[in-house]
Amino acid sequence: MHRLRGLAPGVALGLLLIDLVGMIVLSLVRPQFLSSYNLFVTGRDLSILLLVALAQMVVLSLGQMNLSIGSIGGLVAIIESGLMVRFGVPVPVALVAGILLGIVCGVINGLLVYWTKINSFVLTLGTSYVFAGINLGITHATPFYHIPNEVSSFGQARFGPIPLMAVVTVVLTLLLAGFLYQVVLGRQLLAVGGNAVAARLSGLPIRRATLTAHAISGFLAAVAGTMLMAQLGQGQPTIGATWVLPSFAGPIIGGAALSGGSAPVVGTVLAMVLISLIDDGLVLVSADPFWVEFLIGALILGAVVLGRTRLSDIRVFLRISAARPVGSIR
Amino acid sequence: MSAEPNPRTLEVRLEVSGIRKQFPGVVALDNVSLRLRAGEIHALLGENGAGKSTLIKILTGVYQPDEGEIRLDGTPVRFASPRAALAAGISVVHQERNLIPQFTVAENILLERIPTRGVQLVDHAAINRLARPWMNMVGVEAAPATPVAELSVAQMQLVEIAKALSLQARILLMDEPTAAITPHEVGYLFRILGDLRRRNVAIVFVSHKLEEAFELCDRVTVLRDGRNAAADVEMAAINRDRLVTYMIGRAEVIAELPPKPPAAEPVLEVAGLTTKGGDGALSLVLRKGEVLGLYGLVGAGRSNLAKTLVGEIKATGGEVRVRGALTHIASFREALEKYRFGYVSEDRKEEGLILLHSVRANTSITIWRRLRLLGQWIARSIEDAAILPSLRQLDVRSHSLSQSVGTLSGGNQQKVSIAKWLAAKADILIIDEPTVGIDIKTKNALHELIWDLAANGRSILLISSDMPEVIRLSDRILVMRNHAIVGELPNNHQYDEMSEAIMARLS
Repeated sequence: MHRLRGLAPGVALGLLLIDLVGMIVLSLVRPQFLSSYNLFVTGRDLSILLLVALAQMVVLSLGQMNLSIGSIGGLVAIIESGLMVRFGVPVPVALVAGILLGIVCGVINGLLVYWTKINSFVLTLGTSYVFAGINLGITHATPFYHIPNEVSSFGQARFGPIPLMAVVTVVLTLLLAGFLYQVVLGRQLLAVGGNAVAARLSGLPIRRATLTAHAISGFLAAVAGTMLMAQLGQGQPTIGATWVLPSFAGPIIGGAALSGGSAPVVGTVLAMVLISLIDDGLVLVSADPFWVEFLIGALILGAVVLGRTRLSDIRVFLRISAARPVGSIR
Repeated sequence: MSAEPNPRTLEVRLEVSGIRKQFPGVVALDNVSLRLRAGEIHALLGENGAGKSTLIKILTGVYQPDEGEIRLDGTPVRFASPRAALAAGISVVHQERNLIPQFTVAENILLERIPTRGVQLVDHAAINRLARPWMNMVGVEAAPATPVAELSVAQMQLVEIAKALSLQARILLMDEPTAAITPHEVGYLFRILGDLRRRNVAIVFVSHKLEEAFELCDRVTVLRDGRNAAADVEMAAINRDRLVTYMIGRAEVIAELPPKPPAAEPVLEVAGLTTKGGDGALSLVLRKGEVLGLYGLVGAGRSNLAKTLVGEIKATGGEVRVRGALTHIASFREALEKYRFGYVSEDRKEEGLILLHSVRANTSITIWRRLRLLGQWIARSIEDAAILPSLRQLDVRSHSLSQSVGTLSGGNQQKVSIAKWLAAKADILIIDEPTVGIDIKTKNALHELIWDLAANGRSILLISSDMPEVIRLSDRILVMRNHAIVGELPNNHQYDEMSEAIMARLS
């Protein structure tokens, strides 16, 4: 069941099909889709946004939300670039400090949610402004230019069409999936998301599960912020500003239940691939880029409506339509 | 319904015949009939899954029958929606309350047709005035402007009946109305239903409790496996054994429970326990290998006591000794891991199980920490090996360990919520209302199981408001009332004698 729930077979299979069809159509209509450079650029965006989506998914699986993922990514990026550029801190030290900061931000979210019992939406809306505010206070909206070469070259590094960043994302995705499905703490986290009362009455540590989910979310947001900084070659204060919507789009299209208890890693990956395809496809066919969001919106609506009707409701629908002919004969 | 009580006419008001309803893979109803007369109370009985709910849903327009006919006052009808059924005068009072808690009693009664004045302004005075007569009819004594949230469960039920009556209901379907109210309130409800019968309303009374059907109803229809086991039989012409035979398809054999070794040393001693929930100085002793029954009505404080013992609610005073040692259990985790307590909640869906998750995950949840390998990893094979004996011992029926618990029957769900404590090797088990909403066959199986557990040296605190259950299973019975233990009775398993003794303590 854990494995099945992770794969969310129905949703994932559908997404996989749509992804494949999309790729085939796109490569037929616009052969440059398959060009090494296009795949690299698309893959790099995907590598970053997938981490953002997983950062949301892990909190959703607890039945909570994290609106501060973008602000954490942005704050981490400017702290790292600031340390390197302003204070000449060695790259590894700066990056480790930045990632730790992301985890701390996540733990703060988790502690606040656990202690105050206030809805995570409200709390992370608050911390999101706090983290973004610190970012602006430090930078006054001016980027830290000229980050060290080894960092910015990581952002450009690739093996043929495969960006080096993708390796980081793939490894983290696999680790996360293994953690959630087969490691004690991960399963406790899913159980708490599935039914917090039942989990507590089975002796599970609620606080640890809550903190872990938020810490992982902060960690993934920090890695995503670091990678975007490396790609841009500077510490942009606006990093993460547009992440809120895609962070929800991935898990929701991928089949996550907002009420918690499910963690569709594969579905989220496939959903983010689809979003990248749409993004890239519209660029390639020179469509109005402003319509990208419209399409993603339509996709979310479609996924949510389909998700609603997924199992039981389809059966109910079949029942009713099966009943109709008989009824009309009489 | 007019204000002047009509004499009971007993003409056939609703005639259902040859109803068939199929869902993918199951025939829920097959050639089912039901005849309902004005001015009668008609019992609709059957085990869980017999098709009672499906029939109710067809009568109220939620489902459409695949075959069959519904005649209202002799005219064939089809209810395309619940609204259509309501318009035809059929109202249902469900187990779950269908009221808006924040709204007032009067607003809830008149919800569909709020009186207004001027430009669609809500006329509160009119609402309260118009609702009053309906409230009087069912004896809701609260003011019309009282928010529903402030009422007791029984009063809410009366408000729902008032609402149905105000909608000109001529047919009232009562779906397990006595599941959550006290015997006193049941008596009152029955008087109200009797009143309505005199006013020529046709009432369907759905229940598990045969005693209530005998007390209240004129005629009975029994469903078993989606068919009529009995249709429109006069209640006076039938006895309890016959009715049970209709329900379960054979005579009810309550096997004598085998003898078990006598209870040994005390494992749990509670002295003068007080809690924030208002429990006053509770004391009890639970011995090894014993079933200690704790009988009390809903609201007597039984669950509060149970949750205090497992550390879920804070105790404010008193002593708890586990296996002789003074303890202060601060959290459920401690109760489980240090003192090997298990707790089967009365509310298995909300507090016991994670419905979305698998049988496997729901059973092994208590032992994940014990199963972990290097690096906190849980291997599927080790996990399954650890839980299979418990699941087999309880005879849990599921397609696979990966089936989600929400799709199991109530009885199997309950077995899973006990299996996880067997897997955890808990040996002090607090079991709260183990057989609520579980059919007769499975109930017997669960009773034998609980007995077995005690015979094998586990200690069981059995909390129940089901008197036959307590008298059948317990070695001793504690009677609880108003957050106090008002009596301890040695049990001789003689129902009549014991039930009288228990009732004497309660009054």
